[in-house]
Formats: sequence, structure tokens, C-alpha cells
Amino acid sequence: MFPYSEASWSVVDGAMFIGWGTSLPGITTFLSMLACIAVLVIGQRSETAKAKKFDK
Amino acid sequence: MEDQIAELVTKVAELEAASGGAKVTNTVFAETYYYLTIPLMIIIHAGFLAYEMGASRLKNVLSSGVKNILAFAFMIPTFYFFGWWVYFGFPTGVPGEAGPMGISGIEYANSIALGWGESAQYMGPNIADNISGVFFGAFALFACTTASIMSGAVIERIQTIGFIILAVVLGSFAWVVAAAWGWHADGWLVTQWGVHDFGAAGLVHAVAGFFALGVLINLGPRIGKFNADGTSNHIPGHNMPLTVVGLMLIIVGFWGFLMACVVPPGEAWSWFPDKFATIYGTPITLGSLSFNILMGVAGGIIGSWLFTRDPFWMMSGALAGIISTASGLDIYYPAHAFLIALSAGLILKPCADFLDKRGIDDAVGAVTVHGTIGLYGVIMLGVWGAGFPALAIENAPTVSLMGQIVGAIVFFLLGFVPGYVVSLILKMCGMLRIREGAEIAGMDAVKVPAAGYPEWGGDAPITPAE
Repeated sequence: MFPYSEASWSVVDGAMFIGWGTSLPGITTFLSMLACIAVLVIGQRSETAKAKKFDK
Repeated sequence: MEDQIAELVTKVAELEAASGGAKVTNTVFAETYYYLTIPLMIIIHAGFLAYEMGASRLKNVLSSGVKNILAFAFMIPTFYFFGWWVYFGFPTGVPGEAGPMGISGIEYANSIALGWGESAQYMGPNIADNISGVFFGAFALFACTTASIMSGAVIERIQTIGFIILAVVLGSFAWVVAAAWGWHADGWLVTQWGVHDFGAAGLVHAVAGFFALGVLINLGPRIGKFNADGTSNHIPGHNMPLTVVGLMLIIVGFWGFLMACVVPPGEAWSWFPDKFATIYGTPITLGSLSFNILMGVAGGIIGSWLFTRDPFWMMSGALAGIISTASGLDIYYPAHAFLIALSAGLILKPCADFLDKRGIDDAVGAVTVHGTIGLYGVIMLGVWGAGFPALAIENAPTVSLMGQIVGAIVFFLLGFVPGYVVSLILKMCGMLRIREGAEIAGMDAVKVPAAGYPEWGGDAPITPAE
């Protein structure tokens, strides 16, 4: 996914990451945010469940 | 008219002086840049030392430390004696012909990397050479890192001399061949297959990880690790906090490691007059590293926390996060790097359990964190980075999934085969595993005339006050 039409570094004059010029950066950013939230939700649920086992 | 000419001459002289000053500044900067990577990389070894000693039981804590320190010490001179020469001698393969860039082949290696004859001028203090020493230093520390990776896997039952022989084979030969083939701009994996492994996920981490696997097969598990029915027991180290802090120190040192994978601009040996380059000569910015290393560390920690909740695996996840993205730290988008690192963190523990169920006692998960995740990182770049030019030349080979798979296979073999063969020879010579009685008693009692915690244990000395 080289972001320039010619596969040569001599034409690169700016952004040079995988997916530049496509929707990939936006998709990966959205998925990263989603992953963080999902991990927090799962973490909260499992920690609460485990803590309840210690209730007297 | 004469006044104008005189003014012009003065201005030219001033410009020449300024240009000379800038040149000196750049040379000093470039030399200092590499010089600073060396102490940063030594932090990796402070980390490995703490991590290994913490992961050892009380009875083995110092012997694990001694082994680690000795590996570091033997790596430096052996890399000086022949490792540096191997790196420049064999990028194009055997028999060591010169490559197209003109910086490889046995003849070239003989001229710059031998400690005698004319070549010796580049292997010692030289006022006209501001690069050889610091570049050697950075590479020698890469070598030390490979040995330390293997070192953790084999704690609590390996003989010291056998271990040092293995460390030298790995650090001053096996990974160096991988670097020559897959990192050097004349390396055949690069020129023929477009392999891209900027941060050495394959050629350092995977080689060292699978070298360790080859050794572990011959070394066998620690006494008490596996039950008769094949199930395994967890053998906890004596100090988890020390292990976790050690892992964090390794992360700190990785910044130096990855900094040393970058070539500063503006020197005769630089790739560009005005921008940083990867070791392949492709452009990079330190900003790329800043974005992607941080996102990689974070992704790895979060992924491994989800399933393990264990600080050991979380910090191992941080390492896995960097390693899984290391091949493409120069070209990943940060959120993309985060997701790849997250996935590495998620698969980390299941991969370690897979080995455990097959009777491999990897005391610190080195085969998984460095070996498996290293290859995962190499192949991930093939999935996402296909089409990127592997070199900054016209008609350069491009990164491809097939090329990265070929690279991964070569890196696996360069690690596993020498690790297995040399450890098998050592085993046959009785130099691999310590005697059973000594293992049960504790290796500190056999190897070290000092106690890690002298006031603990049944034979603790009575203090004068008592």
C-alpha cells in the first residue's frame, strides 16, 4: 500500500505511511478507539465479578 | 571595483568558514548520535539482568545474574574479533562477493573490520574516523541483546561455559548472518526479495527467540516443571516486582536500540544529505519512531492485560507490542501500529501456553515474545506494507508478503538450526546442563561465592548485634 503512484522514494515529498490517501488511517483510528473502550468495559465487568466473590 | 571584489572575497571566506563549521557540527552530531545509543542500549541489559534475576528462585538468583553479565562481557570482544567482519563480509551470501552498493564482501570486510594490518586503522582510535567506533558499538550492543534474549529462557539449569559458547554463537555469528542478509543494503534478502525489517523483529528477535528454542529442546525443563502426566507447574520467580521493573528498563533501552537503526544525514557515509535514513537507505523521521513505538507499547500492554491481568505478561506485552511493529516502525500509521501491537498482546499468552503444553520450559517466555512475535511482525509488514520500495534506488525491489515470508523462514532457520546443533554438541560433551544434585541444591551454591539475600534462609549468618 505504497501511497504514491510510482514505487520509488524519489517521488515521496510528504506523508509516507501505509494507507495514506485511503480510508485506512481513519478506520484504524476508529478501531483503536473502539478497542480501548471494549477493553475497559470487559475489564470493568470481570473485575467487578471477581470482587463480588469476596463479599461477605 | 576593487572594493567590491574585496567585499566579495570576504563574504566568500565567511561563507566557507560557516560551511566548515556546519560540517564539523554535523560530524560531531552524527558521532554523538550513535554514541548515545550505546548507554541507552546498556539499559536493555540492566533490564534483562533485573528481569532474569527476579524470575529466578532465591537459590539461583545470583547465578542467573552472573550468567547474564558474562554473556554481555564475552559478546563485546567476540563481536570485535569476528562478528563485525561477518556483517560486512557476507551480505550477498557465501562466498562473500561484493554487492552493488560497494560496502560489502570479504575484500571490503578485510579492509575495514579486521583487528590487524591496514584495516586496524578503522578498529581503534582514529582522529579522521568519526563513525567506525560508534557504529561498531551500536552493533555490538545489538549482539548483546540477542544473547540476553536467549539467556532468560535457560535460567536455573544451564552450565556457565556451555551457555557462554551458545551466546557467542548466537550473538557474534547467527544473528550477524541474519543482519548481513536481511538488514544490510546489499543483503540478498533485501535486493532479491525486498525484505524490510527496519527494527529487527526478525533478524534480532526471531533469530534469538528460535535459537533459544533449539537450546531448550536439548536442555530440557527444570526439575519439577512437568508432572508425569505431562501437565506443567508454574515455577514462580522470587521477585516479581524486580522482573517487571526489568522489563520496563528493557522498554527504555529499546529507544536506543531503535535509534541506532537510523542513519543520520550529511556525512560521507550517510544515505541522504538532509534527512535521516533507515539502515536500508530509505527515508525515515525520528517522529515515526516516536509515534509508533509509543502506540506499540500501549497496544501490547492493553492486549495482554485483557486476558492475563498479570504484570509480567503485561510488560512482556509491551515488548511484544514493539517487536510486532518493529519491521515497519518507519512506515506504519500509529493507530495501525496500535492494532497490530494489540493483536500481539492478545496472542502472546496462548502462544506461550502452546509451547508449555509441548514440554518446552521457557522460564521467561522468550521464545514467544521474541521468536513467535518477531516472525508475526515480519509477516504483518508483508500483509500491510506490500509495494513499498525496499531500497532508495531506481527500480528498487518492493516489500511483498512472499518476500516477508521468505525472510521469516530464513530468520527462523538462522536461529533454530545453530541453537539446536550447538546445544546438542554441548550436551554430548556434558557441557550443557548442570548436574541434578546441584540443580536441586541451587546453582548459587555451586557457582557463586556470595549470597543474594544473606539474611534470608536457614543458613543466614547471625549479625554481630545478636
